[in-house]
Amino acid sequence: MNGFKAGRRAVLGGLAAAPYIGQARAQGTSPSGDPYIVGTLFPMSGPNAEYGSVFTAGAALAVQHINADSMLRRPVRIQAEDTQALPQQAVVGMTKLVNVDRAHYVLSAFTAVSKAVAPVGDRAKTVMVNGGAVGPDLSGLSPYFWNVIPLAHLETQALLPFMMQRNLKRVALVYVDDPLGDAILGILRTALPQVGGSLVGQFSVPRTAQQFAPVAARIRQTRPDAVYIASFGAQQSQIIKQLRDNGVSQPLVSYSAMNIDSVRTLTEAEGLIFTTQSTDFEGGDAVTRRFATDFKARHNADPGTYQVNYYNAVRLFGLLAQSLERENAEVNGENLRRVLLAQREFDLVGGKGRFDELGNMSAALQITEIRGGRLVKVG
Amino acid sequence: MIAYFTNLASLGAIFCILAATLNVAVGYAGIFSVAHAVFFGLGAYAGAQVSLLLIPDALVAMVVAALVAGALSLCLALPALRVRGEYFVAASLGLQMMAVTLFSEAKTLTGGIGGLTGIPRPHILGVEVSTLPVALAALALILLATALLMRGSFGRTLQAIRDGESAAEALGKNVAAAKALAVAFACAGAGVAGALFAMHMQFVNVESFNLDQSVLIMAMVIIGGTGTLWGPLVGAVILLSLPAGLAFMPFIPSTEVGAVQQIIYGLAMTLLMVFRPAGLVGDLSRGKSHA
Amino acid sequence: MLLLQLLLQGLQVGALYALTAAGFALIFGATRIFHFAHGSAFTLAGYTFLFATQAGWPWYLGGLAGVVVATLFGLGIYWFVYRPIQRHEGSFFTVFVAAFGVGIVVQNLIGMFAGRGFASVDTPLSRAVEVLPDVYLAEVFWVAIGLSLLLFLLLTLFLTRHNAGVALRALHQNPDLLRAYGLSSTKLSLLAFAVGSALAAPAAILTAMTSGLNEAIGHQVMLISMAATIVGGVGSLRGAALAGLMLGVAEAVALSFVDTQWAEAVSFLVLFAFIIFRPSGIFGITQAR
Repeated sequence: MNGFKAGRRAVLGGLAAAPYIGQARAQGTSPSGDPYIVGTLFPMSGPNAEYGSVFTAGAALAVQHINADSMLRRPVRIQAEDTQALPQQAVVGMTKLVNVDRAHYVLSAFTAVSKAVAPVGDRAKTVMVNGGAVGPDLSGLSPYFWNVIPLAHLETQALLPFMMQRNLKRVALVYVDDPLGDAILGILRTALPQVGGSLVGQFSVPRTAQQFAPVAARIRQTRPDAVYIASFGAQQSQIIKQLRDNGVSQPLVSYSAMNIDSVRTLTEAEGLIFTTQSTDFEGGDAVTRRFATDFKARHNADPGTYQVNYYNAVRLFGLLAQSLERENAEVNGENLRRVLLAQREFDLVGGKGRFDELGNMSAALQITEIRGGRLVKVG
Repeated sequence: MIAYFTNLASLGAIFCILAATLNVAVGYAGIFSVAHAVFFGLGAYAGAQVSLLLIPDALVAMVVAALVAGALSLCLALPALRVRGEYFVAASLGLQMMAVTLFSEAKTLTGGIGGLTGIPRPHILGVEVSTLPVALAALALILLATALLMRGSFGRTLQAIRDGESAAEALGKNVAAAKALAVAFACAGAGVAGALFAMHMQFVNVESFNLDQSVLIMAMVIIGGTGTLWGPLVGAVILLSLPAGLAFMPFIPSTEVGAVQQIIYGLAMTLLMVFRPAGLVGDLSRGKSHA
Repeated sequence: MLLLQLLLQGLQVGALYALTAAGFALIFGATRIFHFAHGSAFTLAGYTFLFATQAGWPWYLGGLAGVVVATLFGLGIYWFVYRPIQRHEGSFFTVFVAAFGVGIVVQNLIGMFAGRGFASVDTPLSRAVEVLPDVYLAEVFWVAIGLSLLLFLLLTLFLTRHNAGVALRALHQNPDLLRAYGLSSTKLSLLAFAVGSALAAPAAILTAMTSGLNEAIGHQVMLISMAATIVGGVGSLRGAALAGLMLGVAEAVALSFVDTQWAEAVSFLVLFAFIIFRPSGIFGITQAR
């Protein structure tokens, strides 16, 4: 029974201490040289770990640039918490970031993770920014939950005219039955007939499925002009390879989650068409060019959309905190949100990023095709 | 810092309930279930729906969750009455895998992979309370019930079954009823933990109720020591604080943090089993007879 | 035509399931160890083959390397993990937890060193062509079927004709008798682990070519092997192989009756039904209770 008593004391202590947490943070802002903490809630292990490394690369470069430019009075530091893309681990990580590391800004990814941490951040008034997940239910989770990535319904909408132009009218959909897949299914169902196309088959697959040859056989039966794939992570490559191996020769189309190395380098992914945010790395503005050059120098590869998004997410923090430092205001969630809503428009990689009142960024979309392992803009 | 520890402690208490109840099946009745997360999930969904649709009262949610999980424990009791040992493990694995598919597909009840959001924080008689004291009270009650039950004739029947089912049957013990009751108690307890989990996280989805979670709970029981009252609690605290403790180590490169945590977790499981097969709290000489 | 196509695809996958299941069943039948880390042998073999191919090795050397690594893993886990636990007479559940721990370690080590996510070996063998109207078949289909048949033939010969093979089958039934004949049960257990783990390698290599690998694939392999062993009847190698084949076919053919999202649950429904209604499996003689 000792454990019970000790636990109760801890709770009472916790309740009593709660009002002082805000003050403790206020003292931290005094020019002591303590770094600003940018927390990350990425999957660093498990089946989605590839995304974790990709996301981190973008955020780390932004931190390096902010520190090198002395953009802020205090240095910025990344504090990584592994979520394995699972909600429970994410909540533990988020509580640690908020209460132990006193993170000023948290980067989130993955729909389930984002939905799970949103109440924690909302209570603590800590800004959370998503640059990876595109589930449409991520909009307006909390005043402190922002998205620096266009959500999926926008992407699918943007693809439809292009498909009609290429005469890809009969579409079959392979999707994971989560909010994202659901949203894409909904759009294809309603918007395709409006532009003259039709959804000829819909195939839901479990997230952990490995075998897609039988699905390929079912798809072939529907005689589609194109196959839309709405999955993410390692499964995407598996679907592409097995569809191609099993006689599905029609064009494959998808959304921005395909923009990872394992898909780009897959032989079978040649000709894959998908939507991403448009970024012109060569001809763009100074911010974009610097990002592209430094990224290439560091990783010896072209940056992808996710690196752009998380670079932008951290850069946004830099810009917002800079404004707050100028007016000598405390860098906290409420003030960050106030400046975001006051300014609305920021110079980010890929051009101007505009935010709506819910904190969702809209960006221009482009349609790309994989040709010879590289992304080529086709529309 | 305190809020962080309160959160960890709440999760800790919830997992202690899970480990303690699974221990009733594994340690006392010899029913090696790898489907405890299924009943955890059933309780979580039931509790969440009660909070969302009826009333956000922690007690009501826990009772409903316990009833739902306890009633559906029949799915586990059925194979438990038919087969033993490895066969039962396989059956529970099958149940676990099917349940994940069902949880993902029954969207009206579970929200599918998208899950249920906006679950209200726990209230008792209309007053909002922290999860921790409620969870600790539930844990204490469950431990008390376990201790009393196991000391009584029911406990002796169970242990007789564990050590030799045919002998127990020959002695005129009602093996089927005792097994079914032990499973129902364990699953109802998991349901209570589920309801607490849903109200604490304010969000649940199927990813918290998969095979990995079942294995984690089972590892807690085994590492702590089966058939002991305190062993599962020790196991739960160790396994939960391991990743949390590792998160404070600065020298691991940030991209490999997760992998290193998992490797240590895996190694700990293996090494403990090699060097202390009866668990940390378990008595080595007693552990032998559990084969 | 859809049914024929699904049946053929099911046979190809089922042949690979059969190989891994046979390895699992061999180990379990001989040593009574429920080898839950069997999937790790599969993963290691697959990735070894992948690396060898990427390094420019010819396929037969890569394949050999895969077999060697899987075998070494099997020997290692028996010697360093299972044998000490058995010496303490730890319960089978202790073995289960230890094996699961090993699985987690292997998965994450592969993730660290081989990268995380999808990886496959690029080969024209896996590209299907239309052989009948609307029926597509890849050359790898014949490789999978042929290789499985050949390996089962060899395995059957070994278990019935070779002294060590016969002893292996007898190990579970009467260890004392073997000891009386001067045969060491430790040596025979090592043999069981070597042969059983090596059997996972061909399936892993073919999987690397067809559906591809990821570091967490061992999990699924282990579940299927275990399900097949139970459904086939514990102790029966023939049963396990047949059940593996059957599960592969059931998963595929089910798609002509149900929606795609239920395919995975089919195997486990079959498993659950068998345990409830026929716990001794297809070929099982011994009563489970």
